[in-house]
Amino acid sequence: MLEYELLINIWFALWCVIWALCLVADSFPLGAGMLAAFLPKTMGQTLQVAKSVGPFWGGNQVWLILAAGGTFAAFPLIFSKMFTWLYIPMMLLLIAVILRGICIELIYHDDNAKLQQVFRYGWALGSLLIAVVLGVAFTNFFRGLVINADYVYGGTLLGLFGVHALLGALLFVLFFLTSGAFWVAHKTTGEISEKCSRFGKKSSIAVAVTALIYIIALFNTDGFAANYNAYPIAYAVPLIAVVFALACIGLAVKKSDKPFFAFLANLGTLFFGAATGCVSLYPYILKSTVNPEFGVSIFAGASSQMTLSLMFYAALIFVPIVLIYQLWSYTRFKEKIPEA
Amino acid sequence: MIEDIVLLSRLQFAITVFFHFIFVPLTIGLGAMVAGFEVKYWKTQQEKWKKLAQFWGNLFKINFAFGIVTGFAMTFQFGTNWGPYSEFMGDVFASPLALEALIAFFLEATFFGIWLFTNHKRPALKAVSMVLVSVGTMISAIWIITANSFMQNPVGYQMAEDGTKVLLSDIGAVLTNPYLWYMLIHTLIAAYLLSALFMAAVSGYFLLKKSNTDIFRTSMKLGVYVLVISALLLPCFGMFYGHYVGDVQPVKAAAMEAVWESGSDLPMYLIQIPSDSGNTVQAIGIPYLGSFLLTGDLHGEVTGLNDIAEEDRPPVAMTFFSFRIMVILGVVFILEALAGLYLVRKDPAMESPKSRKYIKLILYSVPLPYLAIAFGWAVAEVGRQPWIVYGLYRTAEAVSTVPAIQIIFSTGLLLLFYLLLFFLFLYLMVKAVSAGPEVAEHA
Repeated sequence: MLEYELLINIWFALWCVIWALCLVADSFPLGAGMLAAFLPKTMGQTLQVAKSVGPFWGGNQVWLILAAGGTFAAFPLIFSKMFTWLYIPMMLLLIAVILRGICIELIYHDDNAKLQQVFRYGWALGSLLIAVVLGVAFTNFFRGLVINADYVYGGTLLGLFGVHALLGALLFVLFFLTSGAFWVAHKTTGEISEKCSRFGKKSSIAVAVTALIYIIALFNTDGFAANYNAYPIAYAVPLIAVVFALACIGLAVKKSDKPFFAFLANLGTLFFGAATGCVSLYPYILKSTVNPEFGVSIFAGASSQMTLSLMFYAALIFVPIVLIYQLWSYTRFKEKIPEA
Repeated sequence: MIEDIVLLSRLQFAITVFFHFIFVPLTIGLGAMVAGFEVKYWKTQQEKWKKLAQFWGNLFKINFAFGIVTGFAMTFQFGTNWGPYSEFMGDVFASPLALEALIAFFLEATFFGIWLFTNHKRPALKAVSMVLVSVGTMISAIWIITANSFMQNPVGYQMAEDGTKVLLSDIGAVLTNPYLWYMLIHTLIAAYLLSALFMAAVSGYFLLKKSNTDIFRTSMKLGVYVLVISALLLPCFGMFYGHYVGDVQPVKAAAMEAVWESGSDLPMYLIQIPSDSGNTVQAIGIPYLGSFLLTGDLHGEVTGLNDIAEEDRPPVAMTFFSFRIMVILGVVFILEALAGLYLVRKDPAMESPKSRKYIKLILYSVPLPYLAIAFGWAVAEVGRQPWIVYGLYRTAEAVSTVPAIQIIFSTGLLLLFYLLLFFLFLYLMVKAVSAGPEVAEHA
């Protein structure tokens, strides 16, 4: 068995990676869902959008369950506090996840035109709500929550929705829209593909601008830069995110016939953007704005050595297997989707 | 105040878990049968199997779409509504949940996507995907019941030194918990029973209409055979399960039969109405059967509820009636299964007046296995009260102190949303059945 402290640190890193992968994996199904509300002109085009993510969204969504379940297994105390303190946002997330899942699965099932419209907007609304809640939640984690001594929570529901958190929501929405736009542009042919390509060009610039303001605001938040100042090498993480963001804009403009590269670059921005926030958290996951010591640290919140070790080996075996068959599944659906 | 929160959170959990479980059994049972049809088509290339796979696969798809996302609710609620429980139990309870996502959900969801978007021109990929989906549903059942059986019969743990939580000490013991295997097999057989009755009823509907009789005769037969096997296995296996519950959860067992006075050689009363402190009505006792059902021994000694402190008793009437209704329905299924077996052997076309009556009967019976399963879970979970972890941790201690208004708001919202979804589900299922086996494929 690995040493306990090392295991807890490994699990912090895994926690960050799993949540970041969850955002990356769900970014384009969620983005496609939001795009479906306003870009397609016909139901045929809407179905193109739906089919571009149809085979993949479900498997990608499991990263969210794994992220929640992994938090629970590795850091039960943090799981409990995270979900209890953010009670209403989590309930909204739950309803949004159910709404999105049912609508996207059934949109091509039913040929009743009215019902299809209901599914289309339900899918879009669910996707939007998921993006907003995740954006608000993560901004609050990165900024810190009102945690008093002995884990007594002093925050309010309204307090979660500050200006910075709303900017975070906007940023997540833009990230996902961009992801979705490049994906749909890549996977489809015809008018919708061109529309998405054009949309992605604009939104990738919007992402870069919003992200810049968002990150500057983060670094001006009390305590956010502490880990960065202690380990300046960590500045490499936001730097990589910036490089990916610029690469994304460049690729969107220069290689607009191959939106897949801009898509990948956007995923890179998202992953390293999330990592930028995560670096500031250590050794906490739930930071306190009242007094740093009041936060829920990974050492206070971790499971036992045996559980962490068991889950570590399970992750070591199964995460690569999952990644392999999920990536393989993309090779099964290479044909581009024409307008029906 | 805290009592209100406990009640509200329990109500919310009950709503979400029962709603989720509307979709689970058919996903497990029908999934396996569709996988069988897909494999048959792959191997024989006969149109019949393709049509069967398409028709039943279409119903499976609707069910799966509702089932998988409504399952999120419980994971969320452990954190939102049952925070102290999550902190107390997380070390043992959460790894099965995480492993379920890692090993089962990814498999199910990824290959469901592949299956759905692969057409029958690639029968091998289509069949293998569906087999993996079906395997995934079963692995998922193992992990979630691992977690539940720890709540019923905690093993393989030790208390933390400060007594604030349980710590995993032996994962082998957690996985070989006998409760897990009794509960798992019972649940899986019940899922096959529900799916078989559903398949027989829907097939019967087409045989009544004399539409596509060639393919629905096959699924009628399959439905009836699986129904016979599962209906007969359930009580045999359930009996051993009952003896085991009598052994490790004597209070729950006493509540299942509403035994108040301790004793041996107990009869079982066919007619009985329990109240909070005794039975108000009791008639037609079958000698020794009570002892036998709870202990496996005609002369077995059962501890009555009067010898158990009141604060340690579950709600007796609810446990008792849930158990009774489940058992009565179990008997109904055996009779329906045997009648079905007799008829499909004698009259495979199901055209005789008797067969037609029988089909109508099982069409009306479709909701019954759903009820039986719901009542069965009520026995397991209500009968476990007042403990959330049997003998270790009380439900009242386990709840998050969230403002009651937030729980009421979210429960109301969920209830409204679920009602809408339920009617949508019924509409889609009925429509998919009446559309018949000419199903358009996505790919």
